[in-house]
Amino acid sequence: MTVIDLQIAARNLTKHTKRNLFLGGAIAAVTLLLVLMGGLTQGMRTAMLESATTLMTGHVNVGGFYKVTSGTSAPLVTEWQKALEDTRRLVPEIDYVTIRVRGWAKGVSERASMDLVLGGVDIEREPRFRAALQVVEGSIAELGKPDTVLLFEDQARRLEVKVGDAITLSAPTSRGVNNTADLRVAVIARNIGILSSFSAFMPAETLRRLYRLNDRTTGVLHLYLKDPARSAQVAARLRSGLAQAGWRVMDPDPRPYWEKLFAKVNAEDWVGQKLDVTTWEDELTFLSWILSAVLGITGILIFILLVIVVIGILNTLAIAIRERTREIGTLRAIGMQRRKVLLLFLLEAGLLGLAGTVTGALLGLAVAGGLNAAQLPVPESIQMFLMQQHLTLAVPLRSVVADALFVSAVTTAAAIVPAFHAARLRPVTAMHHIG
Amino acid sequence: MTRTSLRAAAALLAAALAQPALALDQAETDALVKTVDQRQRSSGDYKALCYMEAKERDKTDVVYELVVYRREAEEKLMLLFTRPKSEAGKGYLRLDKNLWLYDPSTGRWERRTERERIGGTDTRRGDLDESRLAEEYTARWEADEKLGAYSTHRLLLDVRPGVDVAFPRIRLWIDAASGNVLKRQELALSGRLMRTSYYPKWKKIFSESKAADVWFPEEMRFYDEVEKANSTLILIRQVDLRSLSANMFTKAWLESKSR
Repeated sequence: MTVIDLQIAARNLTKHTKRNLFLGGAIAAVTLLLVLMGGLTQGMRTAMLESATTLMTGHVNVGGFYKVTSGTSAPLVTEWQKALEDTRRLVPEIDYVTIRVRGWAKGVSERASMDLVLGGVDIEREPRFRAALQVVEGSIAELGKPDTVLLFEDQARRLEVKVGDAITLSAPTSRGVNNTADLRVAVIARNIGILSSFSAFMPAETLRRLYRLNDRTTGVLHLYLKDPARSAQVAARLRSGLAQAGWRVMDPDPRPYWEKLFAKVNAEDWVGQKLDVTTWEDELTFLSWILSAVLGITGILIFILLVIVVIGILNTLAIAIRERTREIGTLRAIGMQRRKVLLLFLLEAGLLGLAGTVTGALLGLAVAGGLNAAQLPVPESIQMFLMQQHLTLAVPLRSVVADALFVSAVTTAAAIVPAFHAARLRPVTAMHHIG
Repeated sequence: MTRTSLRAAAALLAAALAQPALALDQAETDALVKTVDQRQRSSGDYKALCYMEAKERDKTDVVYELVVYRREAEEKLMLLFTRPKSEAGKGYLRLDKNLWLYDPSTGRWERRTERERIGGTDTRRGDLDESRLAEEYTARWEADEKLGAYSTHRLLLDVRPGVDVAFPRIRLWIDAASGNVLKRQELALSGRLMRTSYYPKWKKIFSESKAADVWFPEEMRFYDEVEKANSTLILIRQVDLRSLSANMFTKAWLESKSR
């Protein structure tokens, strides 16, 4: 490939400006869409990782279930100090660990009730917890006092309570005995997507009292790694390591603990303690369907647009070949090899694709930057799905380059058949072509 | 002090002195609780048609019809929902210490806790099962008092160590004349009142296996004391103490009835 080849390809493109602008615009639109949708899913994923790994899950979790009888289970880890000791020995990559109590209860106010998934936190030991929440009313520091609860806006609205009001939590203990706790609403936090529709937080000690847990029992160990990308490997190592250390460990099952509690564990015929090692992705599978849905819709859209682009390229090159048949014949007659003709047409498509994708990618970056700067508020009904309060697109340069290369490759590949057809023309036939 | 006031003071004193004499001692209290259990026990098989009306705040009232089957000698229990249509075929079956729920729409059996709320209402498995108060609780006499027109013994029952029950403490108002439970309060571990139940109508039916009468509450009213707007009414009809088929208390039988 020489500079002259490139010049010929570029000249051919500029000769039919209108047609190629239209096609290049379509390629740019596909790239733009790919970049924006990629930015949206990445933004959702980042938001999910940031908020959820602070509120709901560690990068890796050592949780589990304790069953008094086959039909009565609770999300508990007994002898958690030993489990933590074994975990620290097995995972040197741990940055820090938080200890949480897990639970489920019916929250009842004077006027309404709702089911709540409860997290028992030690607010003094979890500085990141404060940072992950935006307080609407009250103070997070109040959560350090016993018998308090943090609700999200929607929950407070549903229960018709404000800061200072009382709610009653009603839940069975791990032995199935009913118990209650009267709590004061200390904080109302801003909604953070689907997580806030059912999760509420309270001091760990208060939750322990509700469930009548002893000091040796807790809900889960949240492990935060220096490199969260290693979660899956660490979880796999922990599972086998803890099993070798004598713990009964559940098989990997990518579902959040509360789904297992209600749908799986009770149905299994065992009693006693089993540990369940999960990653943050396992615990958030109930959210990942949203990501999958967005990715699926993006995929379908991109596919349809790419098909249109490919048909456009086939059509454009077919017209170009028809228009330039005599030119091809002359070039072949003065000694141009078939391979060169093929290369010329591929170059033409490649250049068109590259110009379109670069334009689309740059536009995508600009639009994403503009949207991020505008801090567009996301309607509450959609916050639940996007996991964001303000529309934020995460557009890493690497994925933009990958998107542009992918679309360029597809457009170039689409030109193979017509280019091959042009290369196969016999010089004599081509020169006599009347078109 | 006038003669009238002296008489009144004497009457009050007599009443105060007479009060302890009405108190039940521990042996009498234990016997009374055993009697409550015994009167309801058929010692054979039991079948009853049951209507359950559940009221919940902001929800439409729901009425369920179900058939309760019991084989008391083997501590077996089966509940088969027959109405409404959406619930028909659902059933609970207790085998040994496990309570199973069958859902015909999925064809799956799910193990549930013995303290399950039946059909999501305020009704517990224990409300439809054999009375085992003496086995599960230790009783203490609290007071004798009037409950409407009835003279009752008020007892406080605490769960025995190692026994798992839904409510660790219950309070009973037992009709002094008939020995029927008229009112029951159930308390949580925290001491909070969770549910109040009333048993306004009792009926008896002769049991051949027991060779004596078996008493059953024809009407039970449960009031949720935490979610005040929720309540459940249970009516028990068509009690039949004849022997049931030997192979009834099986998953296969319940599934066959669900088809």
